[in-house]
Order: sequence, then structure tokens, then C-alpha cells
Amino acid sequence: MKTRKNDLIQGIILVVLALSVLLSLLIPQLFRSEAPPQRLSLSVLLRDEDSAGWSTARQGMEQAADELGAELRFLTLASSGNSAEQAESLRREVEEGADALVVVPADPLSLTQTLDQLPGHCPMVSLESPVGSFSGVAAPDNDLLGRQLAQALFLDWDGGAVLLWDSSPASTGVSARLMAARETLEGLGVPTETVSALPEENVSHRWVMAFEPSATRQAADRNSRQELPFSLYGVGTSTAIIIHLEKGVISALAAWNDYAAGYLAVRQAVSAAQGEKGGLEPLPFSILRGEDIYEPENQKLLFPVTS
Amino acid sequence: MSFFRNLARKWAENYRKMNIQMVISLSFTLVAAAGILIMGLSLFWRFSAANRQSVAENSQRILAQANLNLDSYLRRMMRISDTVYYRVIKNTDLAQGSLTPSMNLLYEENRDALVSLAVFDSRGAPVSSVPLSTLKPGVSPSGEDWFLTATRSMENFHFSTPHVQNLFDDPDRPYRWVVSLSRHVQLTRDGSTQGGILLVDMSFAGIEQVCRDAALGDGGYLYLIDGDGELIYHPRQQLIYTGLLEENNLTAAGYKDGSHMEQFQGQPRLVTVKTVGYTGWKLVGVAPERSWTAGSLQLFQFALPLVLFSIFLMAFLNFHISARISDPIRQLERSIKELERGWDVDIQEAGCYEVRQLAHAVRSMVSTMHHLMDDIIEQEGQKRRSELEVLQSQINPHFLYNTLDSVIWMTESGRQEEAVQMVTSLARFFRISLSKGKNIIPLSDELEHGRHYMTIQEIRFKNTFSTEIRSLPGTEGLYCLKLTLQPLLENAIYHGMASAEGEGKITVTAYREGEDLLIDVSDNGLGMRPEVAASLLDPSVPSAASGSSSGSGIGVCNVHQRIQLTFGEKYGLTLFSEPDEGTLVRIRLPALTREAAQLLQGDVL
Repeated sequence: MKTRKNDLIQGIILVVLALSVLLSLLIPQLFRSEAPPQRLSLSVLLRDEDSAGWSTARQGMEQAADELGAELRFLTLASSGNSAEQAESLRREVEEGADALVVVPADPLSLTQTLDQLPGHCPMVSLESPVGSFSGVAAPDNDLLGRQLAQALFLDWDGGAVLLWDSSPASTGVSARLMAARETLEGLGVPTETVSALPEENVSHRWVMAFEPSATRQAADRNSRQELPFSLYGVGTSTAIIIHLEKGVISALAAWNDYAAGYLAVRQAVSAAQGEKGGLEPLPFSILRGEDIYEPENQKLLFPVTS
Repeated sequence: MSFFRNLARKWAENYRKMNIQMVISLSFTLVAAAGILIMGLSLFWRFSAANRQSVAENSQRILAQANLNLDSYLRRMMRISDTVYYRVIKNTDLAQGSLTPSMNLLYEENRDALVSLAVFDSRGAPVSSVPLSTLKPGVSPSGEDWFLTATRSMENFHFSTPHVQNLFDDPDRPYRWVVSLSRHVQLTRDGSTQGGILLVDMSFAGIEQVCRDAALGDGGYLYLIDGDGELIYHPRQQLIYTGLLEENNLTAAGYKDGSHMEQFQGQPRLVTVKTVGYTGWKLVGVAPERSWTAGSLQLFQFALPLVLFSIFLMAFLNFHISARISDPIRQLERSIKELERGWDVDIQEAGCYEVRQLAHAVRSMVSTMHHLMDDIIEQEGQKRRSELEVLQSQINPHFLYNTLDSVIWMTESGRQEEAVQMVTSLARFFRISLSKGKNIIPLSDELEHGRHYMTIQEIRFKNTFSTEIRSLPGTEGLYCLKLTLQPLLENAIYHGMASAEGEGKITVTAYREGEDLLIDVSDNGLGMRPEVAASLLDPSVPSAASGSSSGSGIGVCNVHQRIQLTFGEKYGLTLFSEPDEGTLVRIRLPALTREAAQLLQGDVL
């Protein structure tokens, strides 16, 4: 009886050891994935005709895509701000199997509606305008930005109406900046006038505010070219805009780190494509004047060092 | 402490309950498994340590190469600075000529690495600069760090941290990142010398290229800091600048050259530091934990099945060997237990030398014990036989008295012939009783002995019964135990004939049945109930054991016992009797030949 019990114990020990050997051989094989991880395909839909104004953001996007194993497709529009064309691009990209989208929306509402009509779920991260169904927004607090830029203007203001250029009325982010600036200025007793385009001939106003990078550059170019007498307050960090800021064509600039915005947008899009939840915090921004740009911290903000 | 004490006690209890094979196999398996595990862990630890050492040496080698390249790059910049100073500035009187053409040539030769060359006077006014000559409005070189540092320390080269070139207006490539090399120089103007600053703006891309080419692999990377820990180059520099990533650069600035383990953001990593000459900059190589554990993990995945298989093999061998060692011991134990139960066991001598010796000793002991027991049994049997034979050999004095009294009476009454016959039979009776002390006598003698006895008794009982004694063919030359017939005849006379009415008859028939000799003694006397007949052979019944007081003094039971003691259980007496029908007593003996009788005679006596 005892011998049988001992034989049973020894048999169990041998079986357990044999199973351990088998498991130690099999488990690493089971957890070893044969196929390389699939690269995510991300489409970046810009609002402009070219991506020059987003070069810094693009560098950040490419860095994130490289780290996270994603592929990027940059798509621009035939005509800047064409929301219908952008919606069509979005539809095409989703249908072609984009895993996630990063957009600078011409018309956030239109894009959202288009996306909602498409079958399946494709996460979309905005680089500027927050809209409810977006998976995240990599942009500064537009309301705060508009107010602080208005206050920068107010510091220089010595009378006269301020021209507020609503260059992209459909963009909720741009509109939020403009409305906050108008509200702040009017609250400070500064008269404002909102226009959808700069006057073709002569700009009689001494104070002009633009709320998106392309509008800021256009206004600065005209100011520089025609030597118009207005002081320009805008947003953006492209080299062309910084040159205008350094030369005094732009009096003050709301600048944020486009590199970080691009990086965070892609990282958020990848996370959303992988089913992770969570949003993005508003990006920090600074109000800069020409004399500030060579401050060490501002150099890092305005002139990205990339490998 | 009490836990270990309890554990030891439980182990001791289990140890006492376990059999030898279990103790041997488990102990050996545990010791072997512990040895294999310790050896495996030791090897694994040594491999991991060697792997880490290898990663550290690899980092140092790559850093040394990067340092060499960086040193070469910086030397080139210093050579350019020396060339500008010693071959251009020293040989040029600014009142008579310009530095620009020569500096331009130098710039063109090294434009891949340079952004600009510029000479400023002691107040920061530009003396000469290539390829750009227009200072940005509002720029004050004398307020820049590189200017102030060179002015303060005139003997040395001064390398700045990376910054955006902000002196000259460059419409084609504005805002280039540069590293400035500045030094104090002596400018000559109208034969007199005055101080100035020579600025060599190196393209940051050159430094970036040198560092980027030095890849550490396995997630490792290299970065460059100045003496204060300020980042000069980092592969993810912009992420650090934007606050999306952190680096331990300020701590690394305090490290001496060599490899250091550090914990950063909860992750261990190996940091290797190499100081760059002239500048005080430090190249920092970072190898994350996985760079030296990846190999260890693979080794672990490879070694674990081997270790487990070794333990399995050891356990299998231990179980098998311990079974081979302990099976003979267990067999011996079982044999001893069977012996204790009184079974006849053949003890096997198997197993290794000591166990075989032990089994042999036990076997010898058992054999000795058996012999002793046999001897004791034999002695007891012998003793009993002797007692029975003593009883048997005693002639009832009453029989002798009666016989002699009959002889006297016959002599006195003139029946001399009968008296002579009685005395003759008595003499023959005694002669055969003695038989020279032999216990096994020829069957013919035994039958003759019976005839003489019956002759005497017939005379005494005045021929109230007749006797027939015969032996059938096949019994010639056979031998039998002495004095087996006479007690039965005596019983037949006293119990069968004495009280019987009419003519009694006692018949003795000897015949052979196979290998047995049978002697039937029958009478036609009173007979008895079968159970009474059966009780006569039972020694526990007093009347059977002691014999009849009225017989020759030797009971039927004694004859039965004597036969069984001599020849075994299968031999002896069998009684068949029915009341009023007589009694048959059958003696079963082995059919002994002369040789067998002689042999047995020797054993018995």
C-alpha cells in the first residue's frame, strides 16, 4: 500500500517536471509573435494649399510617427479653406483604410458630419479647432490666446479701431480666438471692426489682428510690401512669420510649439486608433515681441532643433 | 523561528513515515535540483553581469569613437581659428588691407562646417565677416556671451552652447543653429595693436552629424552636454525643449568618466560618460536595461527548459536507482514480516553487496532457526516416542502374573504339554518384544509376536475365542513398527471378547495397498458407537491417552501416536465399529523394505 502511494507520488513529481519542461519550451513560442507589428496608417489633412506653414508641426508628427510605428500621409487642398474638398479628402482617406486622421479643419462641423456618415469608427485629432466628437485637440486654449493677444495690443494701443480679420469663419478655433479678442478689447473700451478679408487697396486701420498663421503671414506680407501703417498682431511660428516679427512688421505674436502640437496630435491619434481613451491638455503659448525671439527659451520654442 | 521549528518537526514526522526508497529518491532529487538551480542561477547571474559589462564596454568604445570624431571636428574649427588668427589677422594691418578676402577663402574651403567667420574690435564693432557682412539692426556683439567670455579669458578658446545665429541677416537661411568658437585676438592697425574677438560660428549640424552617427543600439542613444549639464545635442532634443520628454542631463554633468548605473523615471539604465577635450563637454551614452537584459532573457528562455529537463532526468534516475537499491531491502522486510507470521519464506539474496550480505545473514539465521526448531521438534518427538516406547515395552505385570499362574496351575494339574506351550509362547513373546533393541522389525516377527500373545491368551481364556493371523501376498519382506499389533489384540480380547457371548473370533490380516502396509485387526465382539471409537484416538480423552487398565497397559491411542511420530500424520490407526457388530482397527504403515527399515532404524534410534 505504502509502495503504491510512493510510486504515485514519484509519478506525479515526474509528470509535473515533464509538464514544466514542455511548458517552458512552449510558452515562449506562444508569446512570440511571428508577424511584425502592423504599422498604423495616419492621414494628415491640412487646410492650406501647401504645408509650408506647418513644417514645424510636420517635424513633430514625423518624430511621433517614427517612435510609434505609424505611417503618415500629408494631404493639402487645391484651394485653402475649401471645406467641401477637405470633407471629400476625409471621406476618401477613411474609405481607403486610414487608421486615424489628424486634421487642421477648414470647417470642423462639416468634417464631423462627414465622419459621422461614414461606416465604422475612425479617430480624428484636430490641430486647431475643438469639436465634440474629435478624439483630441492639439492646440492652445483659443479663448485665452485671443484674450492675451488682445491685451498685448491694448498695451500698445493709443486710439483707433482695431480690425479683426476673421480669415476662417467656419473654423471654430479661429472664431474662438477672434471672439475672445473682440470681447477683451471692447471690454477695455477699444473699438473693433470684424472683416472676413483685408481690404484690397488701402487699410485705413492702425491696428490689425489675425488669428491664424496663414492670415498672419498674408497680413504681414502686405504690411511689409505696401508699407502700410498698421500694427499687426497675429499667431504662428513659421520662419516667415518670425522674420516679420523680428523686423517689427508684426508687433506681437501668439506662439506655441508647433513641433509639440504635431507630436502630440499624432501620438493622440495613434492612441485613439489603438482604442485608448483620454484627451489632450491645451498647449502652452507665449505672446512674443521682436526683441524676445533670441531669448534661449524662445529660441527653443521658435526654431526647432531636429535630427 | 517557530515556523522553522514546526517545519523541521513535520519533516521529521514525515521522514519516519517514509520508506527508504522515498527518503533516498526525494533527498537526492532535492539536493540535485538545488544544485542544478544554484548552478543555473550562478551561470545566469554571471552571464547577465558579463552582458552588462559588454554593454558598458561597447558604450565606452562608441563614445571613444564619437569623442575622437568630435575632437577631430573641434580641432578643425580650432585650426580654422588659428589660421585666421596667425595667417590672416597677424599678417594684416587693417589700415592697409582687409581681412575679408583671406577669410573668404578659408570660409569657402570649410563651408560645410562653417556658418560664418567674423572679427570684431574690442567694442564689438565688426571688422570683417564672411560670408555675411550685414549685422542685424539693433544687434550688439559686445553684449553676447561669447564676446564677454573671450574678453575675460584671453588665452583660451571658448565654445558656446548651441544657439540661433543672430548677428547677421541671412535672407537665404535665417535662424541657423550654431556653436560659437570665440577667442581674443590682437588686431593691427597702423602698426599698433589692439584687442579684438575672432568668432567662428560652426554649424550645429556638424556636431549633430558626429553624434548621430554614434548609435548605441538596443534603444541606447548618445547625447552631448556642456560642463553645466546644458544640452548641446540629444537625438530627441526638440521633445526635451518642448517639455514632452525629460533627460537626466544635469545629474550626468556630475558623473566622472566611465560607466554608472542610475535610476531615471523608475527605470535602471547604464550611463557612460566621456569628457570631450578642450571644451569640458561630456558625451553621455545611455543604455537602457533591455540592452543587457535582452540577451539574459533569451538565455533564460533557453536555460530554463534545460534546467528543468536536468531536474526531471535526475529525478527519474534517482527514483530508478533508489528503487534498485531499496527493492531488495523492502523484499527482505516483507520476507521477515512473512516469517513473523509463521510462513515458510524463501529469502532472496539480491541487490548490492551490503543488502545481499544482510539477506544472506538473515537467510542463515532463519535456516539456523529452522534447524533449531526442527531439532527441538525432533527432540520432542523423540522424547515422546521414547516415553511411548517405554510404556509399550512395559509388560503388564498382571499379564505376566496371570500367565505364570496359569502355567503353575497347568503343571500342577498335569497339563504339562499346555504348560510347555504357554511357557514357550511366553518366551517367544518376550524375545520378539526385545528384538535386540530394534524398533523396526520384520512384519513376520510382529505377526509372530501377535500369535504368541494370542496363544497365551487363548489358553488362559480357555479357548473362548479363536484367532486367525495371516499376511497376504505382497507383504513378504516388509518391515513394520514393533509392538503395534499386540496392544490392539489385547484391546480386542478385553473389550471385544471378554464380555461377549458365543464364540469370539479375532482376525488379523496384513496386506499391501500401494506404498502402504495395512494391518486390519477385527473382532466380532461387542463393538461400540462410532463416536466412542473415534474418541479412542484422541489424546485429549483421558481414557484414550492412558490406555485401558484392564489391557496390557498400552492404549490404542499410544500406538496411534507412536506411528504418527515415527512415520508422519498420514499414518496411524483408523477405527471402524458398530455396537454388537464388532470392531475393525486398521493400522496404516509405510511399506518398508529392508533397506528402508535399516535406514529408518538408524534415524529412529
